[in-house]
Amino acid sequence: MLTFTAIVGLETAKQALLLLAVNPALAGVAIAATVGSGKSTLARAFAALLPEGAPFVELPVNVTEDRLLGGLDLEATLATGTRAVERGLLARAHGGVLYADGLNLLDHSVVAHLMETMASGVVRVEREGLSAVHPARFVLVGTYDPSDGEVQRSLLDRIGLIVPFAPQTDARLRAEVVRRNQRRREGAVEEALPSAPVRLRDEAADDETHMLRAMIADARARLPQVLIRDEQVQALIQAALSLGVEGNRADVFAAQAALAKAALDGRESVDDDDLRLAVRLVLLPRATRLPEADESRQTKDAQPRAPEEQSQGEQDGPNGAPSAQSEQLEALLLSAAEAELPKDALSLPFAMQRRGCSGSRGAALNSRRGRFVRAVRGDPRGNRIALLQTLMAAAPWQAVRRAETRSGSQLAIRKEDIRVKRFRDKAGMLYIFAVDASGSMAINRMREAKGAAIRLLQDAYVHRDQVALIAFRGSRAQVLLQPSQSVERAKRELDVLPTGGGTPLASALLTAWELARQARGRGIAQATLVLMTDGRANVGLGSQAPESGSGALVDKAALQQEIQQLAALLRADGIHAIVIDTQANYLSRGEAPQLAEWLGGRYVYLPNARAEQIAKVVT
Amino acid sequence: MRVTAEPAQALNDRRNGAASGSRAVNYPFTAIVGQEEMKLCLLLNVIDPRIGGVMIMGHRGTGKSTAVRALADVLPMITRVEGDPFNRPPEAIEKDESPIAKAEANDGVPRKTSRAKLKTERVAVPVVDLPLGATEDRVCGTIDIEAALTRGVKRFEPGLLARANRGFLYIDEVNLLDDHLVDVLLDVAASGWNVVEREGISVRHPARFVLVGSGNPEEGELRPQLLDRFGLHARIVTITDIAQRMEIVRRRRAFDADPQAFIAAWEPQQRALRRRIVAAQKRLAEVEMPDDALMFAAELCMRLGVDGHRGELTLARASCALAAFEGRRRATRDDVKRVAVPALRHRLRRDPLETTDAGERIERALAELADQP
Repeated sequence: MLTFTAIVGLETAKQALLLLAVNPALAGVAIAATVGSGKSTLARAFAALLPEGAPFVELPVNVTEDRLLGGLDLEATLATGTRAVERGLLARAHGGVLYADGLNLLDHSVVAHLMETMASGVVRVEREGLSAVHPARFVLVGTYDPSDGEVQRSLLDRIGLIVPFAPQTDARLRAEVVRRNQRRREGAVEEALPSAPVRLRDEAADDETHMLRAMIADARARLPQVLIRDEQVQALIQAALSLGVEGNRADVFAAQAALAKAALDGRESVDDDDLRLAVRLVLLPRATRLPEADESRQTKDAQPRAPEEQSQGEQDGPNGAPSAQSEQLEALLLSAAEAELPKDALSLPFAMQRRGCSGSRGAALNSRRGRFVRAVRGDPRGNRIALLQTLMAAAPWQAVRRAETRSGSQLAIRKEDIRVKRFRDKAGMLYIFAVDASGSMAINRMREAKGAAIRLLQDAYVHRDQVALIAFRGSRAQVLLQPSQSVERAKRELDVLPTGGGTPLASALLTAWELARQARGRGIAQATLVLMTDGRANVGLGSQAPESGSGALVDKAALQQEIQQLAALLRADGIHAIVIDTQANYLSRGEAPQLAEWLGGRYVYLPNARAEQIAKVVT
Repeated sequence: MRVTAEPAQALNDRRNGAASGSRAVNYPFTAIVGQEEMKLCLLLNVIDPRIGGVMIMGHRGTGKSTAVRALADVLPMITRVEGDPFNRPPEAIEKDESPIAKAEANDGVPRKTSRAKLKTERVAVPVVDLPLGATEDRVCGTIDIEAALTRGVKRFEPGLLARANRGFLYIDEVNLLDDHLVDVLLDVAASGWNVVEREGISVRHPARFVLVGSGNPEEGELRPQLLDRFGLHARIVTITDIAQRMEIVRRRRAFDADPQAFIAAWEPQQRALRRRIVAAQKRLAEVEMPDDALMFAAELCMRLGVDGHRGELTLARASCALAAFEGRRRATRDDVKRVAVPALRHRLRRDPLETTDAGERIERALAELADQP
């Protein structure tokens, strides 16, 4: 196996992991990287750095709740006659590291358990007549491929250090990755016939690991003595405010990260470098806006002071006015960070997530919740036992089994008797509104679509449906509201409705298809596309908007073909479609019905569609 | 080079402190900085559980869960019959016309017949966490698998609702809870009784608890029917005051470094709050609300167009609890004003396109009323 130091690239991730090893108060590290970047290799190499006896537990993406939390150890229970509880993965990670590859693919309920455990330090098993509490204090190392979707923000928020995605563009670095892997493979071959050089190399790697371990142990011992000055904490807080970081948790993480870095470097007090690293790994990834020197000063002044702060009376709180020193420090921190900030505020990971998905839910199919439908034979692990059916299945054999085993009057239940419950749950649905935002009537159309979306959401509580909204205008379609269950979010994010420009219908279809596919990954099996348009596309996928010049010469036939292909794609994926024709002139209809036919969906003519009408048509 | 390996030692040992083991170590309630509305709402419910619970909505990382988990340590102890899974006081068992007799037929739970010998014990007020993945069986109680498997006996095993009786039931991320479970919880919270009729058992037992929910509005909305059932609705936001935030960092770091020492250092404040709560609970029965304060509450509800009477009722109870907490025997218009926002925020009529915050609308109505004689 490659050792920690031998891994090329992912330098930021390595640094974050070292800080975590030094200071468990950081709670965890989340690493965004694509497939093949070596993120999981790194995590496993990290395991070797842990103190002896500290567990390294892997959390599979498809983990069941029973495996996660622990549950009835059925074989032991039946064998002994008293309940035996099996510890779950969370409890097994106690005192060590829990590693999740695919942090963004975890089921919502798994994430909820993970967060609760991280907060309380214990796992509570409350299932199937079982009640147990296991200690579970661990640090979380999570990796994810950002192209598979985002990590749930509430989870990400509880992870101290976040290593954002940094594409490995350096060709030399790539070459080095390949070279080292190659060498390792050669090493594996040579190992078969042991020779001196290989042993030497292994020992060198061993020593490296030991050195790092000693360094970490040393830093951990030093950590409680490391000092961070008040103005340094204040500078971190001001940086968090300037970056629009939500909540107060990040401040604590930032201070802990700076302390860990100082301890790792063998210093007794925090310096500017430590603070800079803390900003980079804790605050910057949580930024929701770009710091603008002037603007941030203004907001700070305008910030209302929280009322009735002094209630205990005893606290010798620091005075609230930011000292000149800490302001200077903050400016220094932010200017260092600026180089790493994207120019566009919306590409900040947390800002994007504010618009992105966070309300993903578990699969409705084959769910273990909802209405108990029937009992079937099956594995008790990961399923709920249907007790009466199990007893009934075992009953006829009792006399035989008693004779066989010559045991007393105990009930003999065997594996083949076990019946498990099957449930049916109400399936959630994703409604994708795709609204033609081009032309003069667009503003009306958009407003009514927004009204319909919000109305659907308000009726959707029981069904757990989600709604997304795509506007298409100009050169391409834009997702204004990512799939969401929240009325509040819909209201906020649909506050400004851009209109005007060309009609990039193809781009809208493609975007809708992508949303539906992502939703399927989160367990929402059914998507319905509500397309509000007159059906007249004039901008293709690859073309520019006609408004941007003399691009009026659009190949109509090619456009039609493109749309037909996309429609077939949506149809093949089982996405329901409803085309709402908003063409005011009754006689010039034609394109929209054609589109509905291609999509295999319904066609509705609603030239002056009102929100209620739309909502009614859709449900 | 050979470096001696560290002795077998868990990565997080330092954080465990002396309290390693399976008990969660809670951050002290009195050490929580800011978020006064949330803290007040919780305390008012402690003083008068009839207020009907709290829903806490707000940003991540603002200490919702910390506050609720911390609550357990400032609640006064209760007396119950020794070992009673339903936390009943002896009077309740004596008065009880025993609808749960069936449930007790097969276990060691104290029964009416042994009334004379009922032993009691002092226990902490239960604060029961409802994990998101909990099954209905575990929440409501179910057949005891062990008894069924080993002895072939049908015996009721109490669930979380039984354990929460006379205490608090906390649901984090309540907006993500299964709908059918939410319905069950609301029914029980309203009636105070849990009825289990399934898998061949029929049981009814007391389950009076204060429901505390928390959630993030961006993660999914709560059904309006559910919102209305919570007595108070607290909103919390990110603290922006730098001095407060520095204090949070300082205290959190001290707690993380040595939880036991931190808890010990805050014990005087914790004890003072505990005493204050006990005094307020005793005083509550004597607190009166004069007519003008009641009128004020009613006018406020009318002005805001709050449907039904739950609004006024909650306003009155919360005002009295506040007066009791502050050592007064009279609830005034001022008390009504102070509890108006959390008591009414979730009861205003919902307009899909209304963008003004409910809290602001209530403040405005309060200001308008104040202008009148």
